Amino acid sequence: MNEEQPAENLLARVARHDVAAMSELYDRYAPRVYGLTAHILPSRDAAEEILQEVFERLWSESPSLSQEGRSVVAWLVVTAREAAVDRLRALRQDAPTAGPQGPGVNAEKGPGAGTRKSKALVIAPTAPKSLDGKTAVMRPRPADAARTPATDSVPSAWLPPPKEITLIDDRLVLLHKAIDQLPTLQRQALELAVFGGLSESEIAAEMGEPLGKVRTSLRAAVTFVKHRRRAVCGTWAANI
Amino acid sequence: MGCQHLEEVYELWWLGALSEQGCLDLREHLARGCQHCLARVRDAAGTVYMLGLAPKPVRPRPRVKAELLRQISRKAAPNR
Repeated sequence: MNEEQPAENLLARVARHDVAAMSELYDRYAPRVYGLTAHILPSRDAAEEILQEVFERLWSESPSLSQEGRSVVAWLVVTAREAAVDRLRALRQDAPTAGPQGPGVNAEKGPGAGTRKSKALVIAPTAPKSLDGKTAVMRPRPADAARTPATDSVPSAWLPPPKEITLIDDRLVLLHKAIDQLPTLQRQALELAVFGGLSESEIAAEMGEPLGKVRTSLRAAVTFVKHRRRAVCGTWAANI
Repeated sequence: MGCQHLEEVYELWWLGALSEQGCLDLREHLARGCQHCLARVRDAAGTVYMLGLAPKPVRPRPRVKAELLRQISRKAAPNR
Protein backbone atom coordinates (compact mmCIF):
# COMPACT_ATOMS: atom_id res chain seq x y z
CA MET A 1 0.00 0.00 0.00
CA ASN A 2 1.34 3.41 -0.92
CA GLU A 3 -0.09 5.92 1.55
CA GLU A 4 0.55 9.61 1.11
CA GLN A 5 2.77 11.01 3.83
CA PRO A 6 1.39 14.04 5.64
CA ALA A 7 2.95 17.21 4.29
CA GLU A 8 4.22 18.14 7.72
CA ASN A 9 6.20 14.85 7.89
CA LEU A 10 7.71 15.69 4.53
CA LEU A 11 8.56 19.15 5.82
CA ALA A 12 10.37 17.64 8.79
CA ARG A 13 12.43 15.59 6.32
CA VAL A 14 13.08 18.69 4.23
CA ALA A 15 14.37 20.38 7.36
CA ARG A 16 16.93 17.56 7.51
CA HIS A 17 17.94 18.36 3.92
CA ASP A 18 16.10 15.47 2.33
CA VAL A 19 15.87 16.37 -1.35
CA ALA A 20 13.50 13.48 -2.13
CA ALA A 21 11.00 14.85 0.41
CA MET A 22 11.26 18.27 -1.21
CA SER A 23 10.60 16.68 -4.58
CA GLU A 24 7.47 15.04 -3.18
CA LEU A 25 6.21 18.29 -1.65
CA TYR A 26 6.81 20.05 -4.93
CA ASP A 27 4.91 17.44 -6.93
CA ARG A 28 2.01 17.69 -4.51
CA TYR A 29 1.71 21.46 -4.27
CA ALA A 30 3.46 23.11 -7.22
CA PRO A 31 0.36 23.03 -9.46
CA ARG A 32 -1.67 24.90 -6.81
CA VAL A 33 1.07 27.44 -6.22
CA TYR A 34 1.76 27.89 -9.91
CA GLY A 35 -1.95 28.17 -10.72
CA LEU A 36 -2.03 31.13 -8.34
CA THR A 37 1.19 32.85 -9.47
CA ALA A 38 0.28 32.38 -13.14
CA HIS A 39 -3.10 33.97 -12.42
CA ILE A 40 -1.49 37.00 -10.80
CA LEU A 41 1.49 37.61 -13.04
CA PRO A 42 1.42 38.57 -16.70
CA SER A 43 4.08 36.15 -17.92
CA ARG A 44 4.70 32.47 -17.53
CA ASP A 45 8.40 33.05 -16.86
CA ALA A 46 7.69 35.43 -13.98
CA ALA A 47 5.12 33.05 -12.51
CA GLU A 48 7.56 30.14 -12.66
CA GLU A 49 10.32 32.25 -11.19
CA ILE A 50 8.16 33.06 -8.17
CA LEU A 51 7.18 29.40 -7.89
CA GLN A 52 10.82 28.38 -7.70
CA GLU A 53 11.69 31.18 -5.29
CA VAL A 54 8.91 30.16 -2.92
CA PHE A 55 10.02 26.52 -2.85
CA GLU A 56 13.63 27.58 -2.35
CA ARG A 57 12.47 29.71 0.54
CA LEU A 58 10.58 26.72 1.94
CA TRP A 59 13.83 24.78 1.83
CA SER A 60 15.68 27.51 3.73
CA GLU A 61 12.94 28.11 6.28
CA SER A 62 11.92 24.48 6.78
CA PRO A 63 13.74 24.02 10.10
CA SER A 64 11.77 26.80 11.81
CA LEU A 65 8.56 26.05 9.92
CA SER A 66 8.54 22.40 10.90
CA GLN A 67 8.97 23.32 14.56
CA GLU A 68 5.94 25.60 14.50
CA GLY A 69 3.58 22.80 13.40
CA ARG A 70 1.71 25.07 10.99
CA SER A 71 0.27 24.07 7.65
CA VAL A 72 2.89 23.73 4.91
CA VAL A 73 0.46 24.31 2.06
CA ALA A 74 -1.01 27.39 3.77
CA TRP A 75 2.51 28.76 4.06
CA LEU A 76 3.18 28.01 0.40
CA VAL A 77 -0.01 29.59 -0.91
CA VAL A 78 0.06 32.67 1.33
CA THR A 79 3.77 33.23 0.68
CA ALA A 80 3.37 32.70 -3.08
CA ARG A 81 0.51 35.17 -3.27
CA GLU A 82 2.50 37.79 -1.42
CA ALA A 83 5.59 37.22 -3.56
CA ALA A 84 3.57 37.33 -6.78
CA VAL A 85 1.69 40.52 -5.91
CA ASP A 86 4.94 42.12 -4.76
CA ARG A 87 6.40 41.29 -8.17
CA LEU A 88 3.30 42.65 -9.86
CA ARG A 89 3.58 45.90 -7.91
CA ALA A 90 7.25 46.16 -8.86
CA LEU A 91 6.36 45.65 -12.52
CA ARG A 92 3.78 48.41 -12.28
CA GLN A 93 6.26 50.78 -10.65
CA ASP A 94 8.97 49.96 -13.16
CA ALA A 95 6.66 50.80 -16.03
CA PRO A 96 4.57 53.79 -14.96
CA THR A 97 3.84 54.74 -18.52
CA ALA A 98 3.82 51.27 -19.99
CA GLY A 99 1.90 50.86 -23.17
CA PRO A 100 0.81 47.63 -24.75
CA GLN A 101 4.38 46.32 -24.77
CA GLY A 102 5.18 47.15 -21.17
CA PRO A 103 5.12 44.78 -18.24
CA GLY A 104 2.29 44.38 -15.81
CA VAL A 105 -1.36 43.81 -16.31
CA ASN A 106 -1.67 47.17 -17.97
CA ALA A 107 -0.32 45.44 -21.04
CA GLU A 108 -3.66 43.66 -21.34
CA LYS A 109 -5.45 46.90 -21.83
CA GLY A 110 -6.65 48.05 -25.20
CA PRO A 111 -6.60 46.56 -28.64
CA GLY A 112 -2.79 46.39 -28.76
CA ALA A 113 -2.57 43.93 -25.90
CA GLY A 114 -1.01 41.50 -28.34
CA THR A 115 0.98 38.61 -26.95
CA ARG A 116 -0.29 38.62 -23.41
CA LYS A 117 -3.20 36.43 -22.57
CA SER A 118 -6.25 38.25 -21.28
CA LYS A 119 -6.77 37.44 -17.64
CA ALA A 120 -10.14 38.07 -16.15
CA LEU A 121 -9.65 38.19 -12.42
CA VAL A 122 -11.60 35.17 -11.46
CA ILE A 123 -12.50 33.55 -8.21
CA ALA A 124 -14.53 30.63 -9.54
CA PRO A 125 -12.23 27.60 -9.58
CA THR A 126 -14.06 25.46 -12.06
CA ALA A 127 -15.68 27.85 -14.49
CA PRO A 128 -13.51 30.89 -15.09
CA LYS A 129 -15.51 33.73 -16.48
CA SER A 130 -15.08 37.44 -16.77
CA LEU A 131 -16.95 39.83 -14.59
CA ASP A 132 -20.07 40.81 -16.47
CA GLY A 133 -18.26 39.87 -19.63
CA LYS A 134 -15.47 42.37 -18.98
CA THR A 135 -11.85 41.83 -18.21
CA ALA A 136 -10.69 43.64 -15.11
CA VAL A 137 -7.96 46.03 -16.09
CA MET A 138 -5.53 47.67 -13.75
CA ARG A 139 -3.65 50.80 -14.50
CA PRO A 140 -0.14 51.16 -13.13
CA ARG A 141 0.23 53.52 -10.24
CA PRO A 142 2.64 53.80 -7.38
CA ALA A 143 1.88 51.19 -4.77
CA ASP A 144 1.45 52.24 -1.16
CA ALA A 145 4.58 51.53 0.81
CA ALA A 146 5.00 48.74 3.32
CA ARG A 147 1.52 47.35 3.09
CA THR A 148 2.14 43.67 2.84
CA PRO A 149 2.76 41.32 5.70
CA ALA A 150 5.50 39.81 3.51
CA THR A 151 7.64 42.90 3.83
CA ASP A 152 7.42 42.55 7.59
CA SER A 153 8.35 38.84 7.56
CA VAL A 154 5.30 37.23 9.06
CA PRO A 155 6.03 34.64 11.73
CA SER A 156 4.85 31.19 10.68
CA ALA A 157 3.09 31.01 14.04
CA TRP A 158 0.51 33.32 12.48
CA LEU A 159 -0.61 30.61 10.06
CA PRO A 160 -3.36 28.08 10.72
CA PRO A 161 -2.66 24.50 11.79
CA PRO A 162 -2.91 21.67 9.21
CA LYS A 163 -6.29 20.41 10.45
CA GLU A 164 -7.97 23.74 9.66
CA ILE A 165 -6.49 23.73 6.19
CA THR A 166 -7.73 20.16 5.66
CA LEU A 167 -11.25 21.36 6.52
CA ILE A 168 -10.95 24.05 3.86
CA ASP A 169 -9.48 21.68 1.27
CA ASP A 170 -12.31 19.20 1.82
CA ARG A 171 -14.91 21.87 1.11
CA LEU A 172 -13.13 24.06 -1.38
CA VAL A 173 -15.61 23.71 -4.24
CA LEU A 174 -18.47 24.59 -1.94
CA LEU A 175 -16.58 27.56 -0.55
CA HIS A 176 -15.80 28.93 -3.98
CA LYS A 177 -19.43 28.55 -5.01
CA ALA A 178 -20.31 30.73 -2.05
CA ILE A 179 -17.92 33.39 -3.31
CA ASP A 180 -19.80 33.38 -6.61
CA GLN A 181 -22.80 34.71 -4.69
CA LEU A 182 -21.11 38.01 -3.92
CA PRO A 183 -22.62 41.12 -5.50
CA THR A 184 -20.57 42.29 -8.49
CA LEU A 185 -18.98 45.32 -6.86
CA GLN A 186 -17.91 43.34 -3.81
CA ARG A 187 -16.56 40.56 -5.93
CA GLN A 188 -14.58 42.89 -8.18
CA ALA A 189 -13.10 44.71 -5.20
CA LEU A 190 -12.14 41.42 -3.58
CA GLU A 191 -10.53 40.11 -6.76
CA LEU A 192 -8.49 43.28 -7.21
CA ALA A 193 -7.24 42.91 -3.64
CA VAL A 194 -6.49 39.19 -3.85
CA PHE A 195 -5.03 38.92 -7.34
CA GLY A 196 -4.14 42.52 -8.16
CA GLY A 197 -2.48 43.32 -4.85
CA LEU A 198 -4.24 46.67 -4.75
CA SER A 199 -4.98 48.67 -1.63
CA GLU A 200 -8.43 50.02 -0.86
CA SER A 201 -7.55 53.41 -2.30
CA GLU A 202 -6.05 51.86 -5.43
CA ILE A 203 -9.12 49.71 -5.91
CA ALA A 204 -11.32 52.78 -5.62
CA ALA A 205 -9.27 54.58 -8.27
CA GLU A 206 -9.25 51.49 -10.46
CA MET A 207 -12.98 51.02 -10.29
CA GLY A 208 -13.79 54.72 -10.47
CA GLU A 209 -15.82 54.46 -7.28
CA PRO A 210 -15.66 56.54 -4.10
CA LEU A 211 -13.19 55.21 -1.53
CA GLY A 212 -15.88 54.90 1.12
CA LYS A 213 -18.04 52.76 -1.12
CA VAL A 214 -15.14 50.50 -2.06
CA ARG A 215 -14.01 50.19 1.54
CA THR A 216 -17.50 49.16 2.59
CA SER A 217 -17.80 46.72 -0.32
CA LEU A 218 -14.45 45.11 0.30
CA ARG A 219 -15.10 44.67 3.99
CA ALA A 220 -18.57 43.30 3.30
CA ALA A 221 -17.05 40.82 0.83
CA VAL A 222 -14.45 39.66 3.32
CA THR A 223 -17.04 39.34 6.06
CA PHE A 224 -19.31 37.32 3.78
CA VAL A 225 -16.51 34.98 2.73
CA LYS A 226 -15.37 34.57 6.32
CA HIS A 227 -18.87 33.76 7.51
CA ARG A 228 -19.49 31.32 4.67
CA ARG A 229 -16.24 29.60 5.46
CA ARG A 230 -17.16 29.24 9.10
CA ALA A 231 -20.60 27.93 8.23
CA VAL A 232 -19.37 25.49 5.58
CA CYS A 233 -16.41 24.27 7.59
CA GLY A 234 -18.37 24.09 10.83
CA THR A 235 -15.85 26.23 12.68
CA TRP A 236 -18.22 29.01 13.59
CA ALA A 237 -18.24 28.37 17.33
CA ALA A 238 -14.45 28.31 17.49
CA ASN A 239 -14.28 31.79 16.09
CA ILE A 240 -16.82 33.63 18.15
CA MET B 1 -6.48 50.49 19.38
CA GLY B 2 -9.00 47.98 20.72
CA CYS B 3 -9.72 44.55 19.24
CA GLN B 4 -13.22 45.52 18.12
CA HIS B 5 -11.72 48.08 15.73
CA LEU B 6 -9.63 45.37 14.13
CA GLU B 7 -12.43 42.86 13.61
CA GLU B 8 -12.84 43.71 9.94
CA VAL B 9 -9.23 44.11 8.97
CA TYR B 10 -7.38 40.83 9.56
CA GLU B 11 -7.98 39.48 6.06
CA LEU B 12 -7.34 42.87 4.47
CA TRP B 13 -4.06 43.04 6.31
CA TRP B 14 -2.99 39.66 4.93
CA LEU B 15 -4.00 40.82 1.48
CA GLY B 16 -1.99 44.03 1.78
CA ALA B 17 -5.12 46.04 1.11
CA LEU B 18 -4.94 48.17 4.26
CA SER B 19 -3.42 51.61 4.44
CA GLU B 20 0.05 51.87 5.91
CA GLN B 21 -1.43 53.25 9.12
CA GLY B 22 -3.89 50.37 9.31
CA CYS B 23 -1.00 47.92 8.97
CA LEU B 24 1.01 49.64 11.66
CA ASP B 25 -1.95 49.66 14.04
CA LEU B 26 -2.45 45.92 13.65
CA ARG B 27 1.25 45.09 13.93
CA GLU B 28 1.56 47.16 17.09
CA HIS B 29 -1.51 45.54 18.56
CA LEU B 30 -0.22 42.03 17.80
CA ALA B 31 3.19 42.92 19.17
CA ARG B 32 1.50 43.54 22.51
CA GLY B 33 0.65 39.82 22.56
CA CYS B 34 -3.11 39.95 22.07
CA GLN B 35 -4.11 36.28 21.86
CA HIS B 36 -7.62 37.13 20.68
CA CYS B 37 -6.25 38.91 17.62
CA LEU B 38 -3.53 36.33 17.03
CA ALA B 39 -6.25 33.65 16.76
CA ARG B 40 -8.11 35.82 14.28
CA VAL B 41 -5.00 36.52 12.26
CA ARG B 42 -4.48 32.76 11.94
CA ASP B 43 -8.10 32.33 10.95
CA ALA B 44 -7.76 35.12 8.39
CA ALA B 45 -4.72 33.39 6.87
CA GLY B 46 -7.00 30.40 6.28
CA THR B 47 -9.45 32.60 4.41
CA VAL B 48 -6.65 34.09 2.30
CA TYR B 49 -5.45 30.56 1.58
CA MET B 50 -8.95 29.64 0.43
CA LEU B 51 -9.16 32.70 -1.83
CA GLY B 52 -5.71 31.98 -3.22
CA LEU B 53 -6.86 28.59 -4.40
CA ALA B 54 -9.59 30.02 -6.61
CA PRO B 55 -7.51 29.77 -9.79
CA LYS B 56 -7.27 26.30 -11.25
CA PRO B 57 -4.08 24.35 -10.53
CA VAL B 58 -1.65 24.47 -13.43
CA ARG B 59 1.30 22.17 -13.97
CA PRO B 60 4.51 24.17 -14.37
CA ARG B 61 7.10 23.25 -16.97
CA PRO B 62 9.38 20.40 -15.83
CA ARG B 63 12.46 22.59 -16.04
CA VAL B 64 11.32 24.53 -12.95
CA LYS B 65 11.47 21.45 -10.78
CA ALA B 66 14.76 20.39 -12.31
CA GLU B 67 16.28 23.79 -11.54
CA LEU B 68 14.82 23.84 -8.03
CA LEU B 69 16.25 20.42 -7.20
CA ARG B 70 19.58 21.40 -8.70
CA GLN B 71 19.69 24.49 -6.49
CA ILE B 72 18.73 22.78 -3.26
CA SER B 73 20.95 19.76 -3.91
CA ARG B 74 23.83 22.16 -4.13
CA LYS B 75 22.83 23.68 -0.79
CA ALA B 76 22.33 20.23 0.75
CA ALA B 77 25.75 18.97 -0.31
CA PRO B 78 28.23 18.92 2.58
CA ASN B 79 30.83 21.64 2.50
CA ARG B 80 34.27 20.46 1.54
